[in-house]
Amino acid sequence: MIKLENVTKVYKGDHVALRDATLDIGKGEFVFLVGASGSGKSTFIRLLNREEVPEHGTIYVAGKDIGTLGSWKVPYLRRNIGYIFQDFKLLPNKTVAENVAFALEVIGKPRHVIKKQVPAILELVGLAQKMNNFPSELSGGEQQRVSIARAFVNRPLILLADEPTGNLDPQTSVGIMRLLDRINRTGTTVVMATHDRGIVDTMRRRVIELDRGLIVRDQARGVYE
Amino acid sequence: MAISPVYALRETGQNLWRNFLLSLATIITIGVSLWLFGGFFLFNYAVDNATQRWEGGIEFVVWMNPEATAEQNANILDAINTSPEIRDFTFVDQDEAYEEFKDIFADTPELVEVVTPEVMPPSYRVVPVDPDADVVEELANQFQGRPGVKTVVSANDTIRDIQDLADDVGRVFLFGSIILLAAATLLILTNIVSAIRNRGREIEIMKVVGATNWFIRIPFMLEGIVQALIGAVLAWGGLFLIDRQVIQQFSQPDSLELMAGFRVESNEFIFTSGMVLGIAILVSVIGSSIAVTRYLDA
Repeated sequence: MIKLENVTKVYKGDHVALRDATLDIGKGEFVFLVGASGSGKSTFIRLLNREEVPEHGTIYVAGKDIGTLGSWKVPYLRRNIGYIFQDFKLLPNKTVAENVAFALEVIGKPRHVIKKQVPAILELVGLAQKMNNFPSELSGGEQQRVSIARAFVNRPLILLADEPTGNLDPQTSVGIMRLLDRINRTGTTVVMATHDRGIVDTMRRRVIELDRGLIVRDQARGVYE
Repeated sequence: MAISPVYALRETGQNLWRNFLLSLATIITIGVSLWLFGGFFLFNYAVDNATQRWEGGIEFVVWMNPEATAEQNANILDAINTSPEIRDFTFVDQDEAYEEFKDIFADTPELVEVVTPEVMPPSYRVVPVDPDADVVEELANQFQGRPGVKTVVSANDTIRDIQDLADDVGRVFLFGSIILLAAATLLILTNIVSAIRNRGREIEIMKVVGATNWFIRIPFMLEGIVQALIGAVLAWGGLFLIDRQVIQQFSQPDSLELMAGFRVESNEFIFTSGMVLGIAILVSVIGSSIAVTRYLDA
């Protein structure tokens, strides 16, 4: 599903964010990206979404070399990739349902599809009762569930999550991880950058550890360190 | 992928409403600049129309003294008839001059009452072979001061005065309108950049979920175009007022005779309005294109 071949990303000032990374992530895998701040986790995720372009190497997503995609094709790549932010990034002036519907609306989905899919996904994330609430009326965990619903409503092949539990307490984080696990079981590949030792150690999934841009560990059913 | 018109209009409306004061300033600036621009054209049309009846026709008028003797009249007529430089002429006698006077001053009967045909100066309206200003001037001067001649008015002088004045006024209009149009373009740009910044998170989400660039751009570009269109409608209103309240006032029967042709034909008005609309769209497309390419796609 995701393949990196000798990928190097260098930022201005010769800061190497990712160094000669080569790896394969199969369909339906759940992968944790771990490492200290600045180790290259976020860059890794941004490269998969083509928010960044590598200096060297090739990245394949769903069999396509995304480095050769014309910029007009990038939106279509992103429709296959859900993205979950640490700070949720919900639109405060829209209700829960409108926030989720927004993701479908802006890719031109017809109204009847939106009307069907939004309640279904809110049911899945356990927020059917709060679909008319505004984000400010929700707890942090609930807001992150809305964010996940928005990322998953279009049934993407891949879900990228950048520290999705970073702003949440441990108990709430468990709930979010259960949800991501459930989504993963539907066959969706999940790549999650995290600092949360407890989660990684409990879930026992594949762990890729980065240190100053280098992949220093790639372990199936791994732990945080 | 098609952008839904409902979505585009809703987003555009929200953008305009959120930035209401800036939008208003932009619309007013566009309106005033287009009004000045259109005014420049209307004024030029009116001047052209006013002076057109002199062009290719009568270039100067020899006004005779009402008391001029028959001999003096005959001498002038003879001079006109024999001059190789004069192609044609019309003699306007005292009765005709009186009729013309009555026409011109129809709205002021008290003036007409005190005038009789006997006091009206007869005139020769002369069409020279060469309408060149200097030639006309020289030819006209040959009649100036001759016995029985009251005065010689070279229409060319008057036309040139009016045209000079029109050119000066026109330049001020045009200069002002171009400066204001530049300001309007910058305001549209600022307005859209501000809307883009206000909606940073929405744009970020749109990009992440895979909205196309055009889908993101169109509501912002429409915002600029809507502002320009409203500005153009304001400008049309202003141009209509110029036509009705200023230009048509000049051509009233009680104003100067020379201004009688000072008016704008309806096809000229329509052309000017169309041009105003075209420039409005051009300005808005330039302003909004710069805004979205520099601040949205980056």
